Amino acid sequence: MKQFLKQVIDGLAVDYAEIRVEENERVRVVYRGKEVDDVGKAYESGGCIRVFYQGNWAVGTFNIVDESIRNIALELASQVQKLPRREGGLIKLPAFHETVKLVTRHDPRHISIAEKEGLIRHYNQILLNTRGIVSTLCGYQDSYRKVFWYSSEDRYIEQEFGWLGFSCRAIARDGTNVQDYGESVGKTLGFEAITGREEMVERVAKIALDLLRAEPVTAGRYTVIIDPLLAGVFAHEAFGHLSESDHIAENERLRSLMRIGTRYGVDELTIVDDPTLPLEKGSYRYDDEGVPAQRTELIRNGLIAQHLHSRQSAYLMGESVTGNARAISYRYAPIVRMSNTYIEPRNLTLGEMLEGVDDGLYVVGSRGGMTELESFTFSSLYAFKIEKGKRTKMVRDVTISGNVFETLRNIDGIGSDLVIYGGLGGCGKADQAPLPVATGAPHLRIRNVIIGGR
Amino acid sequence: MMRYDVINLIQGRVDQADVLEREADQTIVEFRQGKLYSYETKLIRGCGVRVIKNGRSGFASSTNPERIDDLINTALELADLGPKAGFRLPPAEEPAVVPTFENKVMLVTVERMVEWGKDLIDALSARLPELKVDIKIHRTYSETSVVNTEGFDGHFAKAELVMLVIGLLVDDGIFWVSDFVNMSSSPVWQMGQILERIESLVRMGKRRATVRTGTYPVVVMPTALPELLFPIAVAVNGKQLEKRTSPLIGKENMSVLSDKITLIDNRLHPYGLASAPFDGEGVRARKNVLFERGFFKGFVFDTATAAVCGRSSTGSAVRDYFSLPQPGLSNLEMLPGDAELGATLKGISEGLLVYDVIGGGQSNYLAGEVSLNVSCGYKIENGVVTGRVKDVGIAGNVYEMFQRVAAVGSMVRDLGSNFLPFVLFSGLKVASRA
Repeated sequence: MKQFLKQVIDGLAVDYAEIRVEENERVRVVYRGKEVDDVGKAYESGGCIRVFYQGNWAVGTFNIVDESIRNIALELASQVQKLPRREGGLIKLPAFHETVKLVTRHDPRHISIAEKEGLIRHYNQILLNTRGIVSTLCGYQDSYRKVFWYSSEDRYIEQEFGWLGFSCRAIARDGTNVQDYGESVGKTLGFEAITGREEMVERVAKIALDLLRAEPVTAGRYTVIIDPLLAGVFAHEAFGHLSESDHIAENERLRSLMRIGTRYGVDELTIVDDPTLPLEKGSYRYDDEGVPAQRTELIRNGLIAQHLHSRQSAYLMGESVTGNARAISYRYAPIVRMSNTYIEPRNLTLGEMLEGVDDGLYVVGSRGGMTELESFTFSSLYAFKIEKGKRTKMVRDVTISGNVFETLRNIDGIGSDLVIYGGLGGCGKADQAPLPVATGAPHLRIRNVIIGGR
Repeated sequence: MMRYDVINLIQGRVDQADVLEREADQTIVEFRQGKLYSYETKLIRGCGVRVIKNGRSGFASSTNPERIDDLINTALELADLGPKAGFRLPPAEEPAVVPTFENKVMLVTVERMVEWGKDLIDALSARLPELKVDIKIHRTYSETSVVNTEGFDGHFAKAELVMLVIGLLVDDGIFWVSDFVNMSSSPVWQMGQILERIESLVRMGKRRATVRTGTYPVVVMPTALPELLFPIAVAVNGKQLEKRTSPLIGKENMSVLSDKITLIDNRLHPYGLASAPFDGEGVRARKNVLFERGFFKGFVFDTATAAVCGRSSTGSAVRDYFSLPQPGLSNLEMLPGDAELGATLKGISEGLLVYDVIGGGQSNYLAGEVSLNVSCGYKIENGVVTGRVKDVGIAGNVYEMFQRVAAVGSMVRDLGSNFLPFVLFSGLKVASRA
């Protein structure tokens, strides 16, 4: 394969060229209510060629991988030469040859779709057997990709990626009151990662029913304690995206706002992005620019420490590459993305955090989140009131929103109980979704948080 | 053409089958931070086959014409496990007539797209030097074909040309403005209108304004309205009727929203991004009235969901080559009212004007709940816009919100697959940190 890829981009009159060719297989099983809703398998193959010349990119993606893609490479080289020169360059890397194999105990590719369907049917039935649950949505997905990557630096990497996961959602109804609750698991592991999850499924049914009796939260400002799942989403959404340098590399004002050494949190706050963590959903060895994955500290002791980079953003900002240029598939050029992003644990127990709160909220889980640089919003699955240091009544429809910088400064307690989650979904940015990522944190206590609700 | 190879190979081995094949050739020119960043071309080809055998359906897809045997064998194998299929695929039927292809769109060259972007950036930087602008211009040619064992054999071509502009203003905070243009019907460069819209958003936002938590009249502009309509779009989906999870069950022909609201799902909208002569399984496209003067008129169905619910397909199967058909909306139209924006703002003593929100789809949308962060919004005081607001959320139940509609705008904005006017809500709950 290396020779084929080399021939495609060989001798192009550009500053840099790379080609990525991919074969992938994906299986999905979906149950809605009593019936299986979808069982499908997809085979895809395709590739992406990128050329860089005088500060500009030209990118071509394609499905048919044969000698004809040399014409695409030539056309891209011709187009990029017509674009007006632009400042900038790329960090170059040395020639190299590496093969990364996926090692799993129970490789999902060797397990029949009937067995996968059977497991999801079993989990779905647990939900359906629960009185008060009117419908369900249970899904399974696995994905295997083999990527062949070659650059004009004579750098060649063959890398296998694989992940699998399942999600279960219960819908409970009492008259016109419809509530739903779900959880999901996603890992770069074998099939064993999703077997034996009956306890999780039973919890999903119970919480959906509890939500029927929960009152909507009253909107306003609260001191909140957020659980590790929501705190991890917060780290990813609220600060992680701001650290992605493609936004900031060429915007002087943003560069100044995100300057290394700037204080954005309390001394205890350290936020890390680390694709080298074993087996997590966002783990990998090389990014889609052939850069080795590495641990990057976004905030260390409350101060901005590093940014996440592609080869281009690192060059423009005079910093080192971090291995964060990722593409969801051959259909896309890599862009700066996170991997496994988490807040490092400190010393407080949950009990100690609760003690300091007279009137607040204990907010659990995440339905997702969005950010537009400094503004963020994310929704929890449910919450409990905190009254005089104790968790009391369950409340629902809790959405947290606000300004990232203020919220980071308002963290006044960091727990000791780090948990890292990877769900079935992933991160979305610039039309590329879902990208496999994981998020993590211990419990956090934050003052003066805007809670949207009724 | 993969679809004919697949259908010919599978004929006689199954009870029924259909194949959707899609090919697309997309060109994207992207500017970042006011400078040309990249030229991109995407060639996409894929084929998905659904087989129905012994009352169940199986599905597989592939982009690789050399793996047709794998594709067929997988679909056949999965038919033992797949969903029950108590329906007949649509017969041969004349597709509807809807314009989806304008040749002038395909004549827009990369050089022209680069020129448009550059001209817009030059004009914006002359008027608003502090604004950093990202632009993406997409030109797409696609061909979609559906063929089935019942004799349906449909094909249509489509040309799309759209532009997305995002302006970023960094002062003592960060402020986004955005604009979208659908030029698929006629590639006439509308720079004056784009400039005017962006300049207006930026100038209104130069000053800051604060709003206290409370209930206010809120004007939601067409750009923000899809997030408020999202729970309703989910609820009208026949899948939610099948699963008994829609809050609209039992409310057909009943008044649910304000009588000022008429919503139509229209695959026949000329040059809409979701327009097509037939749906994802070959059913003739049509207009589906979802709400007429506030009365709920009915759910949308694909063939399979309709059969389970004892209804007929509404021509609403949404499908790409890699997925099974599911019911869904195409182009969503809201009929205009008679309100003018200027006069509407003048009548508000204290309220909000909202152009963009984030956070949609995260609340309990099945129940109609939304909680949205206003990412581009302005305070209205005594009939005039006094400045941009920050850290403000709007929340509530969309069914209650859409009962409190005070006015609907007279102009409909083309947002590609949403064709919407502005809506003035008489009282929305607003949460603020101020």
